[in-house]
Amino acid sequence: MTDSVKFTLYAAGIALLIIATGMMQSWNTALIIVNMGLVSAIMALGVNLQWGFAGLFNVGVMGFVALGGLATVLIAMPPVTDAWAAGGLRIILSLVLGAFTIAGAILLYRYLPKGRARTLAMIAFLIVGFFVYRAAFDPAKIAIEGVNPASTGYLGGLGLPVLVAWPVGGLLAAGAAWIIGKTALGLRSDYLAIATLGIAEIVIAVLKNEDWLARGVKNVIGLPRPVPFEVDLQNDPAFVDRVTGMGFDVVTASSIYVKLGYSLLFTAVLIIVLVMAQLALKSPWGRMMRAIRDNETAAEAMGKDVTARHLQIFVLGSAICGIAGAMMTTLDGQLTPGSYQPLRFTFLIWVMVIVGGSGNNFGAVLGGFLIWFLWVQVEPIGIWLMSVVTSGMADGSWLKEHLLENAAHMRLFTMGLILLLVLRFSPRGLMPEK
Amino acid sequence: MGDNPYQDDRGNRDASITNTAGGGTLKASPGTGKAMSTSEAFLIGDTMTGGYGKGPDILYDCTVAVNPGEIAVIVGPNGAGKSTAMKAIFGMLDVRQGSVRLDGEDITNLSPQDRVIKGMGFVPQTSNIFTSLTVEENLEMGAFIRRDDFRGTMEQVYELFPILKEKRRQAAGELSGGQRQQVAVGRALMTKPKVLMLDEPTAGVSPIVMDELFDRIIEVARTGIPILMVEQNARQALEIADKGYVLVQGRNAYSGTGKELLADPDVRKSFLGG
Amino acid sequence: MDLLNAVIALANFVIIPAIAYGSQLALGALGVTLIYGILRFSNFAHGDTMAFGAMITILITWWLQAAGVTLGPLPTALLALPFGILGCIALLVITDRAVYRFYRVQKAKPVILVIVSMGVMFIMNGIVRFVIGPDDQRFADGERFIISAGTFREMTGLAEPLAIRTSQGITLVTAIIVVVVLFWFLNRTRTGKSMRAYSDNEDLALLSGINPERVVLYTWMIVAALATIAGVLYGLDKSFKPFTYFQLLLPIFAAAIVGGLGNPVGAIAGGFVIAFSEVTITYAWKKVLTYALPESMAPEGLVQLLSTDYKFAVSFVILLIVLLFKPTGLFKGKAV
Repeated sequence: MTDSVKFTLYAAGIALLIIATGMMQSWNTALIIVNMGLVSAIMALGVNLQWGFAGLFNVGVMGFVALGGLATVLIAMPPVTDAWAAGGLRIILSLVLGAFTIAGAILLYRYLPKGRARTLAMIAFLIVGFFVYRAAFDPAKIAIEGVNPASTGYLGGLGLPVLVAWPVGGLLAAGAAWIIGKTALGLRSDYLAIATLGIAEIVIAVLKNEDWLARGVKNVIGLPRPVPFEVDLQNDPAFVDRVTGMGFDVVTASSIYVKLGYSLLFTAVLIIVLVMAQLALKSPWGRMMRAIRDNETAAEAMGKDVTARHLQIFVLGSAICGIAGAMMTTLDGQLTPGSYQPLRFTFLIWVMVIVGGSGNNFGAVLGGFLIWFLWVQVEPIGIWLMSVVTSGMADGSWLKEHLLENAAHMRLFTMGLILLLVLRFSPRGLMPEK
Repeated sequence: MGDNPYQDDRGNRDASITNTAGGGTLKASPGTGKAMSTSEAFLIGDTMTGGYGKGPDILYDCTVAVNPGEIAVIVGPNGAGKSTAMKAIFGMLDVRQGSVRLDGEDITNLSPQDRVIKGMGFVPQTSNIFTSLTVEENLEMGAFIRRDDFRGTMEQVYELFPILKEKRRQAAGELSGGQRQQVAVGRALMTKPKVLMLDEPTAGVSPIVMDELFDRIIEVARTGIPILMVEQNARQALEIADKGYVLVQGRNAYSGTGKELLADPDVRKSFLGG
Repeated sequence: MDLLNAVIALANFVIIPAIAYGSQLALGALGVTLIYGILRFSNFAHGDTMAFGAMITILITWWLQAAGVTLGPLPTALLALPFGILGCIALLVITDRAVYRFYRVQKAKPVILVIVSMGVMFIMNGIVRFVIGPDDQRFADGERFIISAGTFREMTGLAEPLAIRTSQGITLVTAIIVVVVLFWFLNRTRTGKSMRAYSDNEDLALLSGINPERVVLYTWMIVAALATIAGVLYGLDKSFKPFTYFQLLLPIFAAAIVGGLGNPVGAIAGGFVIAFSEVTITYAWKKVLTYALPESMAPEGLVQLLSTDYKFAVSFVILLIVLLFKPTGLFKGKAV
């Protein structure tokens, strides 16, 4: 069986699952799954690029996804002029100061002669720099956060079309990835895993606490959308005429119309990313990446700069995760830093990649869809299962209530089970690498 | 990509999640299914043919044997399959034809660990000590399979290698090259093996240390333990050898007593530099 | 200026909490480092293993409390701890037999085991949330304080109080006992030495007749005990919430790496380094400085270097600094 036949079969299977959802639950639910499935597939492509092509272990996917989310706020929200007036320039100045402090410390380290004097000079510089930074930063932050805290209290964004945020999200994630990769990949043996794990937590901590940036846990809601609002459609006589003419309910039709709009946009991005990933895989660059992966020593001996290549692919893969993160936040219409959980945004993506087939782009796409579908559907199935199991028990019994109440947590268990079963019995995944 | 997907790490070398130091490479090789019996000896690798995994054969009809009180030495040019022959006897090679017998018992189907239990002591060429354990702990670990009191054996090892007694509380990894080799041989002796196999025990040590090591090895042989040894330094090794095997491209080229081989003009010309 | 009060405030808000937290991290990091040394991978499921052991202990504690059994001034959880350890051992041994052993037979590469441990992490996380729910649980009882703020004031007449909670005292005492026993076991017993030998050189251990399966079994049992104790102590000291335990993975990994992965002494040192940096950098120094400095220099702000929400950032930065200057960690890593 050739790969394309296999892919078609699997894709048809997943399509059937989604159609069944549409028929049995609702088309709205089915489309919600499709849209997040598309986003998941893109995230899986990003991680597959890193793990599948280069063996890089990124357990900070959540951080890059969140940076993409931040980009939507920074790009698409209207600027809060009062806040800018209150402390916008000061805060930017203080951030520049902070960056100078770090750069200065690095320069001191590089150019001073080795010894205790260097260490002391560096530490002194960092400490002084830190307090200068805080002295500039704190009042600006307080001023900004004081501007109408109930609805703004942050700088706002640039007020550009939200679609601009998607590539910018990629750039933001790429920038962060470059910094991490530069530090974590450069040493004798790399320690990318712990570095990404840490940076992801830090990104989330920043999003939660820096209210001046994106309102922290107060969330930014009402992000601009690339598609019309349902209410506007329902008030548009042309739209109402058309759908009633076709025999649909106006409210349902408007919501499906909007979701289909997202689906089209997301599919376009997925296809672009997939095509580029495939081209990259087949290009001399991709062959070199795989050569490095399969025999690093030989590749090094042939004069390939392994670290630079690894950095390249790590930045690229993270950028893709950033784009997907921006798309997801656009779809949600809000940025809620509290909702970023490593199990959901890092490890679930890993399950998608492994189940799909490490090193196979089509596998990553399939894995993204399939695992996302299961992630959504295991919960109702678990609840249904528990209600069957507990149907014989007396109402109000402690065990019955407990089982029904906690059935929702079965989804984590199921994801683990799927990952372990695939690793054990089909370690190359649904679509093995050629 | 290898055959076994579980062994495909995609070139990952992330030290924060994986520990590559000290991992195991030993695997039990199955028996040959094609036994050979051409001659008898206390330990004999009889007419062995085989290679690594599914790769090509690198050993052809090779026979190596040793008897109590003897030192048998395998010599030959680089890549002749000297170490391979020893690994074949120890069960670390996929042998497709031939037998290995110890004290009359066929052990061809046993794993390396089981061969140790049967009484084979083996000192690998590299990674042959526990570097983070003290010298004494190294010896204790050598005696791990023994449930009796091994203090006597340890005293014997200390008598043989007095420097080890002096350094017994020191981490073995901190010792010099020659001392490490003594720890390695001592560790193998702790099992009270019926036969001792040494894979290039003098690799990387200075000529003086080498002479001293050879002296010790002769002493061990005098206690009655047969010794099978692979050596790079052919001349010195043959001088102490009761029996010598010259391997060329995985085959027995010449064999005889050490003195015979040293005297053989062909052997002299091709391996001993005239 | 009042140096004595400054020292008391420092002890009360920085030193004592950091020692307790450091002990908990050290016990967690010991588990991670043992698995790294002997099974040769970083176990992502370690936080959830701690949660599982703590959960069993909590359930038994509740049962004991309901039955009216208590330890008087000490928390009942100490009585339930051995059962928690047994439960956790059972879980890990079953997991090893059902999951990990297969990969050992296959001679799988360590990074594959890392991915496997992700699957185990999901499953354990699911089990814990399914059984006890995702919410905060309280199970501490007995005396709350060894020395309460009020008693201390009465005793010393100082303005600044010093409170030592029972949980903090128990944490330190337990951690010391556990570490002493563990080091005695690793350095003095035949089994302990064989574990170190296996970690050092697997092939040679095999050739010495050391049975890898036994080594692995003992490792999981020790790890289960360490994880349960760490989990229960953390729960007594702060509170039990499954997600918090999952998040402890980062400081625990950081502690193990800072100390030198695979090195038990390093794990302990790393635990305290991380804990002390987290607490000092996120503590608001105003009070201590007000006491310590002359009145004219007393600070106006909180003098908090970073908000407590950035404690993960602190462990991470410490980790980076150590790795940049000493890639194998403070103590040479990679050997038990």
